[in-house]
Amino acid sequence: MSGITRKFGRNVAVDAVTLDAGPGVLGLLGPNGAGKTSLLRMLATILPPSSGNLTLLDRDPRNPADRREIRRRLGYLPQHLGYYPSFTVVEFVEYFALLKEVPPHLVPKAVAAAVEKVDLGPKAKAKLRTLSGGMLRRVGIAQAIVNEPELLLFDEPTAGLDPEQRVAFRALIRDLGQSATVVVSTHLVEDVGAACTEVALMSNGKVVFRGTPEELTARGEAGQGVGDAPLERGYSAILAAARSAS
Amino acid sequence: MTAVALSRSRPVPVLRIEIRRSVVLWAVPLLLALFYFDSFRTATGFPPVWTVRSSVITSHMIADFGPFAAGLAAWVASREGRRKIGDLVATTVRPAWARQASALGATLFWLLLAFLAGVAAIYIDTALSATWGGPPLWPVAVGVVELVTFAVIGFTAGALFPGRFTAPLAAIGTFLLAEIGFHGAESVRPGTSTYGLLSPATTVPLGDVGVFYRVAPDLAIAQVMFMGGVTIALLGLLTLAPVLRVSYRRPLSVVSSVGRWLCIAGVALLVAGVAAAATAFSLTGTARMGVSGWEISALHDAASDQPIPYTPDCAGNSFQVCVHPAFSGFLGSANAALQPVAAEIAGLPGAPVRAEQVPSGDGILGSQGMNFAGVPKPGLSGTPAVYRYISDDGLAPLWGSPAGVDNAGWRAGFQQEFLTAFVAGPPQTGPGPDAFVQAPTAAQQAVITALMTKVGSQPPGWGENTTNGAPTAGATPGQIAAAAQRFASLSPAARHAWLAANLPALRAGAITRAQLP
Repeated sequence: MSGITRKFGRNVAVDAVTLDAGPGVLGLLGPNGAGKTSLLRMLATILPPSSGNLTLLDRDPRNPADRREIRRRLGYLPQHLGYYPSFTVVEFVEYFALLKEVPPHLVPKAVAAAVEKVDLGPKAKAKLRTLSGGMLRRVGIAQAIVNEPELLLFDEPTAGLDPEQRVAFRALIRDLGQSATVVVSTHLVEDVGAACTEVALMSNGKVVFRGTPEELTARGEAGQGVGDAPLERGYSAILAAARSAS
Repeated sequence: MTAVALSRSRPVPVLRIEIRRSVVLWAVPLLLALFYFDSFRTATGFPPVWTVRSSVITSHMIADFGPFAAGLAAWVASREGRRKIGDLVATTVRPAWARQASALGATLFWLLLAFLAGVAAIYIDTALSATWGGPPLWPVAVGVVELVTFAVIGFTAGALFPGRFTAPLAAIGTFLLAEIGFHGAESVRPGTSTYGLLSPATTVPLGDVGVFYRVAPDLAIAQVMFMGGVTIALLGLLTLAPVLRVSYRRPLSVVSSVGRWLCIAGVALLVAGVAAAATAFSLTGTARMGVSGWEISALHDAASDQPIPYTPDCAGNSFQVCVHPAFSGFLGSANAALQPVAAEIAGLPGAPVRAEQVPSGDGILGSQGMNFAGVPKPGLSGTPAVYRYISDDGLAPLWGSPAGVDNAGWRAGFQQEFLTAFVAGPPQTGPGPDAFVQAPTAAQQAVITALMTKVGSQPPGWGENTTNGAPTAGATPGQIAAAAQRFASLSPAARHAWLAANLPALRAGAITRAQLP
């Protein structure tokens, strides 16, 4: 993406962001209101940019045929996962596999694989209304990966997960990042440190840092960041610098 | 990890998932209860005549199912908004209209299944007791189309306004719509009640239309065309909904995002639907009542107006009582009512040898100003004389729940009609613009009362035949009763002899109450 801007009325949510990402896990860090979710929704083809050029999987999402193809190869987990309570885990994932036009004869295997990947096999036939928040999050992840996407977008994926599940999820996205482009929006820096190969830090709609988690850590050691962990210190140092510059 | 037992299962289309998890399933028990207590009991309370019972499909069943259909469809259509799942589904390949089509399809699947099961229950019960004819299909077609229309109205409301209150509002709104249509149908008049005629509650007139003559499908065709048009227009509106919702600010970009062909399809559906509904409305304005029910000249096939051949079911020897085979169940009651009074007048000049049922053309339909050439008139005529009665005078009082019928009252009324036709001749109409049917003279009333008393029936209430409070027969009910008692106290032979000698004068009104023996 190049010079991408998204405005809501007079409010500029994403301000001339230029970003490119290939296979691997890109962590999108930033405080609340930084523009992470708006950026992710544009990447998910939900929201058109107000200006700028956006290319996803080598295609232009403004073109309906291209957008269709992008969506076929896209996985998305929104921050707030809506769901149909009367559906079972399998039905919900199956429903999205069909909406993503996974070839019907491949759907059962794809659903089984996705449900097993998020460790929900024992709950496969459970109604969604009976699941805990963490389990629902895993259902959301399963629907996102059921079509074996080449571009995966996770918005706060570890919210609601217990520590054990969070560790498992990080392992999962590391695994997914081997073959796909994974963008993880989060404000939990430990997720970034454990799972991401690259980090982009957003503040006030702009990307104020782009580098590896190690480089972010180094910024903390060099600057005046605060926090318990080295990564947190890097995060706060960059944010402090961005605020003082603006 | 635990293996998910899916790899051997068959692929499942979206529609099948929607059908399996449809919210309509939750409402089925309530729908069935409503159907049983309202529609089914009403239908089985009617005589087992196909056209009569099938009228319940559009008059009662739609009132039971329609608001549910609208509410449930609105609930389903609004779920993406209510469940905040819009972002998630927006990132999938399948377009919104395809998702909505699956959801609407599943909703309609269960609603129509429940509706058709109800129709089947009514028709099976009718088939077990009907003595003539077969199940009419037009009321089923009208009912199905109306149910679909109600569901699409609700679905459109839910899709355009996805709030939690949309479903109950859609249900209430369509209930009121059905009620307005029902009341419009009750007071329907040709040329002035287009809305009432378009209401599916307007069916064949409750009587014997469809028994003696085929029911013309004209009005049903217009109703299907009207509601089908409304449905198609709403589907067009649904197709265009993303354009209407998103983009008054940037219409061109939205058209490109929705898809040019989808926009064209939406506009085409909208225009076609409005055109069909407007055409149906215009056609219905020309409807008039005929022997086949409501007829619309542009749709009517006059060749179908011929009477349906039938062989009447009869009972009795010297005096035969006959009914149309569709009303065979009433033959016993009719025969038991008429035989005793027929015996009282047997052998008298002009005494009928037969009573037979004729079409109600001059009854129900005649009350609306229609006159049907060639349709036999009720009353006494011919040589030898035949008494002709119509369903709504002769048999209609038996309609309704058998347990709730006043059999003695019905029997007396039927006998009174019969004896009045014999003793007083055809009803005389009074003079002036406010013409009314004149009551028999006091002497005629007394003779009729006496004959009915002799066969053990309750005496008729002549006192009701008054104009502005004054007895039209020139005598009070007490004076008539006294004369009747005097005449009834004669021996049967004396009564018979007096009637044989004085019947022409009595019929002509030349005999006074005082002249009765």
